[in-house]
Amino acid sequence: MKVGLPQALLHYKYYHLWETFFNELGVETVLSPASNKQILNAGVKSAPSEICLPVKIFLGHVKALKDVDKIFVPRVVSVEKGAYTCPKILGLPDIVRGTEGLPPVLAPTIDFTKGKIHFAKAIYNLGAQFSSSPLKIFKAYQAGTKALKRHELKKQEDGLSKTGGLKIGIVSHPYNIYDSFISLDLLKKIKKEDVSIQTSESLDKKIIEDETSSLPKELFWTYEKEVVGTALHWLKTGKVDGIIYLLSFACGPDSLAQVLIEDFAQQYQDVPLMSLVIDEHSAEAGLLTRLEAFLDMIKRRKKIESNHRPDGLSANYARGSVQAA
Amino acid sequence: MKCYLGIDVGSVSTNLVIIDDNSKIISWIYRRTQGQPIKAVQAGISELKELARADIEIKGVGATGSARYLTGVIVGADIVKNEITAHATAATALYPMTRTIIEIGGQDSKIIFLHSSMVVDFAMNTVCAAGTGSFLDHQAARLGIPIEEFGAYALKSQNPAQIAGRCTVFAESDMIHKQQVGCLTEDIVYGLCQSLVRNYLNNLAKGKALEAPVIFQGGVAANLGIKRAFEDALQTEVVVPKYHHVMGAVGSAILAKETTEEGTKPTNFKGFNTSKQKFSTKSFNCSSCENNCEVVKIKQQDKLLACWGGRCGRFEA
Repeated sequence: MKVGLPQALLHYKYYHLWETFFNELGVETVLSPASNKQILNAGVKSAPSEICLPVKIFLGHVKALKDVDKIFVPRVVSVEKGAYTCPKILGLPDIVRGTEGLPPVLAPTIDFTKGKIHFAKAIYNLGAQFSSSPLKIFKAYQAGTKALKRHELKKQEDGLSKTGGLKIGIVSHPYNIYDSFISLDLLKKIKKEDVSIQTSESLDKKIIEDETSSLPKELFWTYEKEVVGTALHWLKTGKVDGIIYLLSFACGPDSLAQVLIEDFAQQYQDVPLMSLVIDEHSAEAGLLTRLEAFLDMIKRRKKIESNHRPDGLSANYARGSVQAA
Repeated sequence: MKCYLGIDVGSVSTNLVIIDDNSKIISWIYRRTQGQPIKAVQAGISELKELARADIEIKGVGATGSARYLTGVIVGADIVKNEITAHATAATALYPMTRTIIEIGGQDSKIIFLHSSMVVDFAMNTVCAAGTGSFLDHQAARLGIPIEEFGAYALKSQNPAQIAGRCTVFAESDMIHKQQVGCLTEDIVYGLCQSLVRNYLNNLAKGKALEAPVIFQGGVAANLGIKRAFEDALQTEVVVPKYHHVMGAVGSAILAKETTEEGTKPTNFKGFNTSKQKFSTKSFNCSSCENNCEVVKIKQQDKLLACWGGRCGRFEA
C-alpha cells in the first residue's frame, strides 16, 4: 500500500506527524516533488480560476502523485478550540475529489471543536484501514506527535540561535515561506545579504496567543492568528529590524489580516513592514526591487542609528525623537 | 576633473548624468529607451562624451532602473542600486529636509517617506500601470494633444470633469462620455490629472500622511497639470526639481561617489569606448528540469559577460 502526500499547504506544518504515523503502520509514503513550473501549470489548469494560489499549487502536487494507491488529504476543520482553519483547507478533500483522473482520497476529519474523543476516533478509523491492532495505531500516533514536537522544537531553536547581521522577520504561512518556487526564492535572496531570518516558528505559542487575545475581537482562523500575532509581537517589541509580510493573492483570510497588520504597523512605526503579494503571474523583477529597497532602507537606518546611539537603543526616527535627542 | 557617472535605464527613458565632486550636475542626457536598453545606454554614453568637457575623468559609475543589472554589466558599474534608494539619495542631496518623494515614471510610480534624510517607508504601484507616464501618453494621444502641451491645457480648466482613474479602460470610456456630452477639453484633461492623483494617493499612500516638503520627481513631474492636482489634493506646495526627469541617475551617481569613496577606490568603468563595442544577448529555455527557466546570456563579442534567469544557479558566472 502506497499513500501519496502532497508537498503543499499543511504539509509544511504536519508532515512529520503523518509520515511517521503511516510508516509505523507499515504503510509506504510517497512525497510529491518540490514545486516547479509543471506542478504550477497542472494546478492552475485543474483549479477554478478564482481560487487562491496555494490551493492551485496543492492540486498540482496531487496531480504529480502518480503510482500511489491513495492520496492523503485530511479535512482539517479545526486544530484548537474556538478557531478554525480557512474554508478552502476545510473543503480540500472535496476540491480534490472534484478533480478527474486521481486515485481515491484518504480524508479523515480533524475537528478539535468536537472534543478529543472525536479526534481519537478519527485517528483510529484512519489507522484501522491499515492495521487491526488498536494498540499499534495508538503507538503510531504517539510516535507521530513525538516526531512533530521534535521538529517544532528544532525550528524554534534554529530561530533563536540566529544572530549577527540584520534580523528580518518573515510573517507568512509556512507553505508560502518554504516553497521556494512560489516565494520566488525569497529566503535565498535574503540570505545572500548579511541577514538572519526569523519566522513565527521561533516564537513561543503562548506569545502568539497573548498577542491575538489582546485584539478587540478574536480571530476565527488558527493560522491567521499565527500571522497576526507574530507581526504584532515583533512590531511592539522591536525584536527584528524589519518585517516582510508575504501573502498570496486571492487568499481570503490574508486579505483581512493584511489590513489589520498594516494598521498596527502605522501605530508601531519603529519596525518597518513591507507587504509582498505573490501570485502565479509574479515576476521576479518587481519582487527584487522591493526587497533590495527594503533591506537598503533598514541598513542605512541601522548605520545612522548606531552612529548616533552607541547604546543600541532604538532612535525612534519615525516619530521624530531624533531632534529631541 | 573628478566626476561620477549615473545611469538610470527605465521602461520608457534612459537617463545619464555626470556629477562633479560636489554632486553638482555637469551634463545630462534624457532619451527614450525604445525597448532597446543596450543601444540606449551606448548611444547615451557617446552623446555624453560629446557633451561633456574634455578634462573630465570618470571615477565611479552607478546604475539603477529596471535594466540596472544589464547596464551594470555593460558599462562596468561600481554600484547597482534599486530606484527607491537612488531617488531618495538624489532628493535628500538636493533638499535634505525632504519628507515625501512622489516619483512617477514611465510604467511605475513610487512614494517614499523620509525623516532626517533617511527612508522610513516606501511603496510602489502593484500590478497596474494606471496613473503612470505611459497611461498619460496614451490618453493624450487619444485626445489628440501632444503630451508636452497637456499641462498647459490642464491649467486652463475651471470646472474639472469627474473621471474614473482606477483603470485605463474605465478612464477612457469616461473620457469619451464627457466628450460626447460636450465637456471642454481642458476640463477633461484636468479631470484626468485629478483622477490620476486620486488613484496614486489611494493605491500608494493608502491613507498615510504626506508631510511637506513634498518633492515630485520622474518624467511625469514635467506635467504641470499633475503638479497642480497634487497641490490641490494635498493643500501644500509640491516642489519639482529642475532636473526632476533624471533624478534617478543623479542618485546613482552620488551612490557611485560614495562607493568609490570619493574616487579613492579604483572604478570598474569600462570607458566611453563602450559605445563602440558590440554586445549581444541570447536567451533560451533550459530543459534540465521541469522549471524550464528562461536564461539570458550577455556577450561582448565572444566573451561571456553575464548570465541570469536560472533558478538553480548553474548558469551563474
